[in-house]
Amino acid sequence: MYCNTPRAHWLYLCWASVVLLMLSAQGAANAAKVTLDAANWGHPDGEGCVSCHDKASPGLAQQWHQSAHKRAKVNCMDCHQADAAEPDAIEHEGRIIATIVSPKDCGRCHETEYQEQAGSVHAEAYALIADRVPALAHNLTGIEMQAAGCDQCHGSEVKVRGDGTLDPATWPNSGIGRINPDGSKGSCSSCHGRHLFSKAQAREPDACVRCHSGPDSPDKAIFEASKHGMLYAAQRDAMNLDSDSWIAGQDYTAAPTCVTCHMGAAGKIPATHDVGLRNAWSLNTPVSQRQYLVVLEDGSKLELPDTDKPPRRGSEITKADGSVGKVKLVATPERRRKIMGLVCLECHSKGFTQGFMTQFDNVVELYNAKFGVPAEAIMAGLYEQGLLTPLPFDEPLEFTYWELWHDEGARARHGASMASPNHAWWEGMYLVGRNFYSRFLPEARALAGSRAGELVDSRLADGKHHAWLRNPRQPSPILGYAPPEPELAPKPEPEPEPASVVEPEAVAE
Amino acid sequence: MIKLRAPVFITRHVLFALAAGSLGGILFMFFLLEFDQLTSSNEFCTSCHSMTYADENYKASAHYNSPSGVRASCGDCHVSEGVIMATYDHAVGAKDLLKQLFGPDYDDPVINRLHLPEAAFAARDWFRARDSATCKRCHRLEAIQGTRANTAAIHQEETDGKTCVDCHYNLVHRKVPDRQTFKRDAWNAMVEQEFGLEPGTAAALLAE
Repeated sequence: MYCNTPRAHWLYLCWASVVLLMLSAQGAANAAKVTLDAANWGHPDGEGCVSCHDKASPGLAQQWHQSAHKRAKVNCMDCHQADAAEPDAIEHEGRIIATIVSPKDCGRCHETEYQEQAGSVHAEAYALIADRVPALAHNLTGIEMQAAGCDQCHGSEVKVRGDGTLDPATWPNSGIGRINPDGSKGSCSSCHGRHLFSKAQAREPDACVRCHSGPDSPDKAIFEASKHGMLYAAQRDAMNLDSDSWIAGQDYTAAPTCVTCHMGAAGKIPATHDVGLRNAWSLNTPVSQRQYLVVLEDGSKLELPDTDKPPRRGSEITKADGSVGKVKLVATPERRRKIMGLVCLECHSKGFTQGFMTQFDNVVELYNAKFGVPAEAIMAGLYEQGLLTPLPFDEPLEFTYWELWHDEGARARHGASMASPNHAWWEGMYLVGRNFYSRFLPEARALAGSRAGELVDSRLADGKHHAWLRNPRQPSPILGYAPPEPELAPKPEPEPEPASVVEPEAVAE
Repeated sequence: MIKLRAPVFITRHVLFALAAGSLGGILFMFFLLEFDQLTSSNEFCTSCHSMTYADENYKASAHYNSPSGVRASCGDCHVSEGVIMATYDHAVGAKDLLKQLFGPDYDDPVINRLHLPEAAFAARDWFRARDSATCKRCHRLEAIQGTRANTAAIHQEETDGKTCVDCHYNLVHRKVPDRQTFKRDAWNAMVEQEFGLEPGTAAALLAE
């Protein structure tokens, strides 16, 4: 019933959606049950680690003592053991270990979560911006900022030096798209604080805030400013955050957190560690697009705009890293939205949910049509005509444009997606409009000079969004000025001046 | 009364030979003591150019610059205590001299660094075989307090069956991984990068 798309591939897409749901259903309602036999953990050398680390690093040891890992008899060696041939293997007190516990290591037991996060927008967070970092971080500031800034969230490409040490330009790092020495991508500890690995901690909105903050995605602030955040703050005690099973509508109803909507189990919707799975739109691009989620045979994933035809099952497709993969299945943006919407239904009616989604989609489409698309076209024209150099950020207009879509535009779209009026409007679309009309267009016109009509203003001539500018005589009280009425009738007698009763001394003050 | 009477084979010549031998032996022992002393000094060790590379990291280490002013010389760590073992170590160490003269050109900083891991492994074996005896010239396990809260407890409770160098390596000289996890390719690549050499140069140099 959800697959009533007129597309030629609708049958296939229906099938793919079913498979996708089934695949993610492996994730079950909470952390998937570890199916590995317990004989695979409880490394005999682990006790020795604990005895010494209780003294050498009591903080982390104490966290482990309180963890579910300890209760399940999973010790230091179970996670940190390494094969001597691994690039980052080191000898430590007679054992061969690795400092970095990669998703692949966690995946020895947590197989489902490992497979779900592999290829997700989180796991690809480094790869997604790798070709952009030099232009911004390196040129504008310096390479030092990559480790302290970009890589802290997006992850680093961890380098092991010839002497066996981890290159401090790339480590420590727990960015979510970290490229690990074993080749796996991601960092479980980005959200799951080591060494306690508390369920409750990872379910808190604070698990996301380290990175989902700042001008382009102030998602914690957006959440807190929303009704969801208001209820969460007031009813946090009823969130049942420690519960093994954590299904929205069943184990808790007080409020949703980031996890609830983006990964959590709700009703029949299973939990997933592919955090972008339910996102129909790209919101952090110059122009938003509805996106297919393409799952490849090797387990990796990528997103493609739905303006293109969906790739066929079995066809070959080039991945972000340049390698080629075979398409296993495709989830349409409609399907992704449907899954997100089903979470809402645990607490909201269908009409309410659809109404909210319409309001959100309207904002994104407005942003695209009024600002994103024209701004992108204006920039492209200026680059093509050589009026801007191809080098980014060596001209003021490039900062103006960057802030328009990356900061203000993204903030507006995120604000609308999660119902924070302040972020959608004052810190979002209001700033987009202010920037567009008071900085971006004037700067672009100045650069275009005599060709401004062709390169700039022609992009605004859609007759709808920018038509208001063609009526400069239309008054409004908002700025306190109204033009004098045309003199049709004789002027009324002036009122007596109230200032006349004020003492001249008081006026002087 | 017991009458002391030398046996007939104790002739004057024998007595003279014994006296000369004793004197020679004593002088020889003095010589060995002085020789070991001299050949354990930093000045002697770094008189070979190849050893100056080891000296650089040593001079930056806590064993050279300790707040208490105690300074461990090359020999304090790398030559055993007692004239017999010290002489033995120096005799065995003479192979380094032979390699310096007839082996690879250790004076070349690239060659030196390429061969450093094997030297480090050999040195660690040497310490381990002697139960870190030279460390214990200065450091007493039972007296270790440390500056952090549990350093003393760790050294009292967690050191059974371990010798100092099992945990404390890469203290003074350039860091080298443990033999078990050492990766020659990665080491070569690091050296090539540090000296701005083409990839593959290191392997070619080692094959020479």
